[in-house]
Amino acid sequence: MDKVNDPSRRRFFQITGGIAGAGILFSACHGTTGPTNSYLGSGDTALLNYLYVLEQLEADFYTKAVAAQYYNMSNLEYLALCDVRDQEIAHKEFIQALLGKNAIAAVTTNFSNVNFSDRTSVLTNAAMLEDLVIAGFNGAAGLFSSASLNLVQVFSKLVSVEGRHSAYFRDALTHNTFTDSTVVDSNGLNISSTPLSVLASVQQFLVTQFDSSNLPN
Amino acid sequence: MNFRNILSEIEKTDPEVYERLSDRRHILKGFGAKVAVAALPLAIGSLFKKAYGKSTDAVTAALNFALELEYFEFNFFHIANNVTGLGLIPTVDQPGFQMIETQEKAHVNFLIATITALGGTPFTPNHYAAANSVPPYVPAAYDFTGAASTAYYPVFANVFNDYPTFLIAAQTFEDTVVRAYNGQMTNLLGNSLFTQVQQLLATEGRHAAYIRLIRRNMGATEIPAPWINNNIPPTSPVPGSINVLQPFYIGEDNATQLNVTITSLPDGTGTVPEWSATAAFDEPLSQAAITGIGGLLTPFILS
Repeated sequence: MDKVNDPSRRRFFQITGGIAGAGILFSACHGTTGPTNSYLGSGDTALLNYLYVLEQLEADFYTKAVAAQYYNMSNLEYLALCDVRDQEIAHKEFIQALLGKNAIAAVTTNFSNVNFSDRTSVLTNAAMLEDLVIAGFNGAAGLFSSASLNLVQVFSKLVSVEGRHSAYFRDALTHNTFTDSTVVDSNGLNISSTPLSVLASVQQFLVTQFDSSNLPN
Repeated sequence: MNFRNILSEIEKTDPEVYERLSDRRHILKGFGAKVAVAALPLAIGSLFKKAYGKSTDAVTAALNFALELEYFEFNFFHIANNVTGLGLIPTVDQPGFQMIETQEKAHVNFLIATITALGGTPFTPNHYAAANSVPPYVPAAYDFTGAASTAYYPVFANVFNDYPTFLIAAQTFEDTVVRAYNGQMTNLLGNSLFTQVQQLLATEGRHAAYIRLIRRNMGATEIPAPWINNNIPPTSPVPGSINVLQPFYIGEDNATQLNVTITSLPDGTGTVPEWSATAAFDEPLSQAAITGIGGLLTPFILS
């Protein structure tokens, strides 16, 4: 059920990590993991680094969006965008502080598919990022060990704020789409996604690749 | 939602649910076929108590408080959308408020099913059996004008015939429910239901942001953002309203999380401003502060 806890799989990665240049073994990984990938760690550290990746992504996106100021940006929209940027920086720095020396290096983003001078492009991508991050935090909450429940609890205070962000960008784009059925299910629950699925979805915005072999999922 | 759906939902956040219930797996197979329908809630309840142990009572209590608030919200939006017939909500915003009403109703039903599955007794509002009740619509349980409080009534008297007043109430209620959920998460820590309640919380955050954005675009005096900067309450033209509305936001200006001072963290050019350090996290409120004696929502709830 839980691939991470499969001892044979874990051993496999320990071996492949330990033998640099073992071409046959690396080919077995289909090039998806390798010595140059950013290793997220294992257990709670891996989960924290994963959430750290998501917040770095958001912080960098909004930093670029504020700097670019899309065409026809109103003053209220500019102020809101500055607010969201600062809040995502706060989230990013907070998680980095929690990680301490276990934090991965800053990721390199790739927003070449985003047109930062175009309002629709910025709002669409902002909403998509926010929705992925909310789903990501939801999917991670139950994967932390009992030793990290204090972190899980404080992250719920951050998730409702990400919900606010998503609602804002969705509604600024198209009125009354802030909580539609693409992001909230028939029970009224905001969607949740597994770490690996979210990581795969955000990879389009990242140059940095990750070794998520020990990321709980 | 039927029993299999509940188990499947729980399995999403607690993959071990079937293992926890393993000794009783054969009982599960019997459900739906052999157990009398009337006996089902009781049977399921005892099953989950055995599986999840003593924390069930605290979990049920937290969920029942959430249910109480969801009834409150559903009734508020149901009246606004359907009952007054006064053209309260402009056409352009009606789809949004209908979605909120629909999702509050879904929350009510989800929580009832979940509490029942845990073996608890789902909360029911006062006057649940009143002649005009069509649950979850229980109009006899609430007076959203706040007439029970001489302080509240001037602020909320026109809640259903003046759109800006309605929006002030709606924003205050949604923000308070977000804070209430955040206050209950501690009772759900380590429980398989934590994730689902957090999913529900995220939806409430969406609702709050929508109402705040409408007020922002309408030119509300304090220029509300979709999130809560510092502890700024909505402004009402009613003299003295600050005394009524400010208490809903007490503690929202907290800038320290897990002993990390957010305002000391770098933001590229300096440190994170208090304005955003406080907005980056919603802050909890206790059940007593919300529905207890002298609680924030208590004046709206009829005994």
